[in-house]
Amino acid sequence: MAAAALREQLNALLTSMFASGLVDEQFQQLQMLQDDGSTPGFVAEVVTLFCDDADRIISELAALLEQPVVDFDKVDAYVHQLKGSSASIGAQKVKFTCMQFRQLCQDKNRDGCIMALAVVRNEFYDLRNKFQTMLQLEQQIQAQQ
Amino acid sequence: MRPEERNGAVRRVRDQFPVGMRVLAVDDDPVCLKVLETLLRRCQYHVTTTNQAVIALRMLRENRDLFDLVISDVHMPDMDGFKLLELVGLEMDLPVIMLSVNGETKTVMKGITHGACDYLLKPVRLEELRNIWQHVVRRKFSNRERANVDGYEECNRPSNADFDNVLDQTCGSPDQSGRPSKKRKEYYSEEEDEGEESNSQENDDSSAPKKPRVVWSVELHRKFVAAVNQLGIDKAVPKRILELMNVEKLTRENVASHLQKYRLYLKRLSAVASHQASIVAALGGSDPFMHMSAFEGLQSYQGFTSSAALSSFSPQGLLTRNNPTSFGIQGMAASRPIQIASVNSTISHSIGDTNKYQLSLPGTSNRPGNLAQGLKATSVGQVQLPQKWIQEETHDLSTIISGNGLVNGVPGALRSVADSPLLQQDLVERRQANIVIRRSSSANSEHLEGTTGVSSCLMDSHISQQSGLLLSAFSASAVPMNGSFSGTNVAKLGATSSGSTNICPSHDLRVARDNDVGDSSFGSVILLPPDTAQNQKYLNFGGGSSARHNMDGGNADTLLDAKLAWSSLPTSQPPSTIGSHHPLSQRPNNGSLGVKMIEQTRASIAAPQTKFDMFISGDILTPKNARDLSFPRLNSELSSSSCSFDGLLNSIIKMEKDDASFSDDLGCDFYSLGACI
Repeated sequence: MAAAALREQLNALLTSMFASGLVDEQFQQLQMLQDDGSTPGFVAEVVTLFCDDADRIISELAALLEQPVVDFDKVDAYVHQLKGSSASIGAQKVKFTCMQFRQLCQDKNRDGCIMALAVVRNEFYDLRNKFQTMLQLEQQIQAQQ
Repeated sequence: MRPEERNGAVRRVRDQFPVGMRVLAVDDDPVCLKVLETLLRRCQYHVTTTNQAVIALRMLRENRDLFDLVISDVHMPDMDGFKLLELVGLEMDLPVIMLSVNGETKTVMKGITHGACDYLLKPVRLEELRNIWQHVVRRKFSNRERANVDGYEECNRPSNADFDNVLDQTCGSPDQSGRPSKKRKEYYSEEEDEGEESNSQENDDSSAPKKPRVVWSVELHRKFVAAVNQLGIDKAVPKRILELMNVEKLTRENVASHLQKYRLYLKRLSAVASHQASIVAALGGSDPFMHMSAFEGLQSYQGFTSSAALSSFSPQGLLTRNNPTSFGIQGMAASRPIQIASVNSTISHSIGDTNKYQLSLPGTSNRPGNLAQGLKATSVGQVQLPQKWIQEETHDLSTIISGNGLVNGVPGALRSVADSPLLQQDLVERRQANIVIRRSSSANSEHLEGTTGVSSCLMDSHISQQSGLLLSAFSASAVPMNGSFSGTNVAKLGATSSGSTNICPSHDLRVARDNDVGDSSFGSVILLPPDTAQNQKYLNFGGGSSARHNMDGGNADTLLDAKLAWSSLPTSQPPSTIGSHHPLSQRPNNGSLGVKMIEQTRASIAAPQTKFDMFISGDILTPKNARDLSFPRLNSELSSSSCSFDGLLNSIIKMEKDDASFSDDLGCDFYSLGACI
C-alpha cells in the first residue's frame, strides 16, 4: 500500500514537473527508456550527473563573471554546455534561460549575464529540488519492494 | 559474429543489420554522453564513448576497423568537433554525425562543409538515432561506386569474391552479388593480412593497415599533397611521392595507403561537386584530382541499386537545392527528398575543398561556345541527327527498374576548365550574349519538373559541365546512356555559366553510332538529347550565367534514354555555331512518332586563346541489370571522345580510358574503342 501511495506521489510529481514546463518530452523519453526495463536506474544516474555538472558549471560561471575582465568566450562555452546538458535531460526551463543567457553573453553584457546567471541558478535549484524529491521517492519505492 | 547472416536471406540480414553497428560517441558533456549512449544502446548499436576528442581520434587511429560510425559533439574543449570531423574524414573513411545544441545555419553549414554526413540537434531523439545506420550504408555505397571507377586500383587487387558483408547483402539485390566483393577489394587489400574479426561488419571499414602506423600530421599531409600535385594524380605513385616528400621513416606502404585514402577522400568530395557544378578544375591536367574525382563521382552512383532506401541517393536533389535556378534537376530531387540532405552536405563539402585541391590553369580560357565544327551544318548551325531508339530495350529497362524500384541513372559530368574567375566571367558574358538556343518542333515542351517523378524512377543521369557548353558527342559505340546533364558553374569562381541538360537515357545503339561517327571524328560536341519520349524539352540556356538544356523524353511511361557523350572542344576558330537537329525515332510501344527536336545553339567564341578541356564524368545509377549495359557504354563514349580529341585530351581523358579498359577487364560488355573511332 505504501508503495502504491509513493508511486502515486511520484507520478503526481512528474506530472506537475511536466505540466509546469520544468521538464519536457525529452525527460519523458528518458523515463520511458528506463521504464522499458533495460536500463534500470538510468534516470537517476543521468539526473545525478546533470545536477553535479550543472552545479559545477554555475559555480564556474559565477567565478568568471566576477573577474574584472570577463572572458565572454569562456562564459559562452560554459553556458553552451549547460544548455546542451539541460536539453539532453529535458530540463526545459534551464535550457530556455541558458538561451537568454547566451544572447546576453554574445552581447557582452556583463550585468545582463550576472542577472541571467541568477535566473539560471534559480531555475536549476528549483529543478534540482524536484529531482531530489523524485529520486527519494524512487528509492523509497524500491526499498518497499 | 553472425554467420547466419551471411548465408541467410537477404531480408533477414537487412532487418538485423543495424544491430551491433559500432558507434563511437564523443561528447565532453557527461550528461549528454550518458543520454546519447543509452539511446544508442537502445537502438542496439554497439557503443563506445569517450569525452575527449583527442581520445576518440586515438581510438580511431588505432582501431579504425572497430567503428562504423562516429557521433561527435561540436563544442569540445580539447578539440573542436569540426577538427575531429575533418581528421576523421581525411584519415579514415567513416561517416561522422555532428551533434550540437546549436542549430544555427552557419554552424550546421560548417559541419556539412567539413564532411559531416549528418547534423543532429540536441536533445537527440531515439527516432533519429534509429535511422543513423543509413549513413553507414550510404557511405559504403558511395565507396563502392568510387571503387568501381578506380579501375587500375581494382585491377591490381586480388578479388575477394567470397567476401560478403552485411551491408553489401543489405544493399545488393541477389543479382548483384558479384559486385560488392569487387568493390571491397579496395579496402581489403590493405587489411588482407589482418586476422579478420569474425564480425562481418568489421570488414566494412575502410583501409586499415596494421603495419606500423604513421600519423599523418597536417604537415606531413601537406607535403604529401604537394608531392601528389606535383606529380599529377595519375602519375602519383607511392614511390615517387615518397621521394618527393623526403620524410624519414615513411615507407612506401604508408604513402600508398595514404594515397589511396586521399583519393577516396577527393572522390568523395568531388562526387557531388560534379553535380553541383562547382568545379573549378583546370582541365590541363593541372588538377588531376578533380578530374578523377569528378569522373568517378559520376560513376559513384552506379552502385545504387535495388533497395529503395539505398538508391535514394540523388545528386540532383543537391543540385536543386544549391542551384534553385537549375531546373530539370528539381524533379529528380523531389523523388528522393530524404537523401537530399546528405547529398547536399557532400556538395558543399566538395566545394569547400575545391579550393584546396584544385588548381586552375592560368591563362586558359574556357570556351563557352560549342564547337560543332565537325558537323555538317556547322556553318549553318543546325545539324540534324537522326536517332533511333530501340524501344524494347527501354522498355525492359523500365520494367526492371520499376519492378525493383531501382533507379538507373547515368550522371555524367562534363567540366570544362575554368580559368581565373575573371576569365570565366568573360566567358559567361560572352555566352549570354552569344548563345541562343531555340526550340524547334518539339512536340511537347515540358519542364522537367513535370516529368521529374517519372524520370527519377527511370534512369537519370546528370552531366554537369562547367562553363562549357553542353555538348554531347555521340560515340561510335553508340551506347545508350541515361542521364540528365546539367551543367553548372562553380559558384566559387564567381562567374560561371552553366548549362544543364537533362537527358533521358535512351538505349539505342544504332542511333548513337550514326551520330557518333560524324561527331566523334570531328571532335565536335553537340548536345544531343535524344529522347524517345514524346515530349522533349529543350530549355533555353539561361540568360544568366547558366545555360541549361533540359531534355526529357517524356512520357511517364517511357523511360528516357539519353546517350551522351560530352566533349567540349576548344576551337581555334573563334566563332562557331552549333546546331543540332534531333529527330526522334518512333517508339513502337508508345506508338508515338519520333519527335523531332531541334536544338540550336549558337555560341560564338570570341576568345582568342582556346584552351579546351573536357571533363567527362558520368554517374550511373542503375540497377544491376541495367548497369552492365549502361556502364560500359559510358566508358565507350568516353573513350571515343578521347580518341577523337586525342591531342587535346588531357590526363583526364586518359583516366577515362583507363576506366574503360578496366571495365573491359571486368568482363563487362564493352564497346570496343575502335568502334567509337
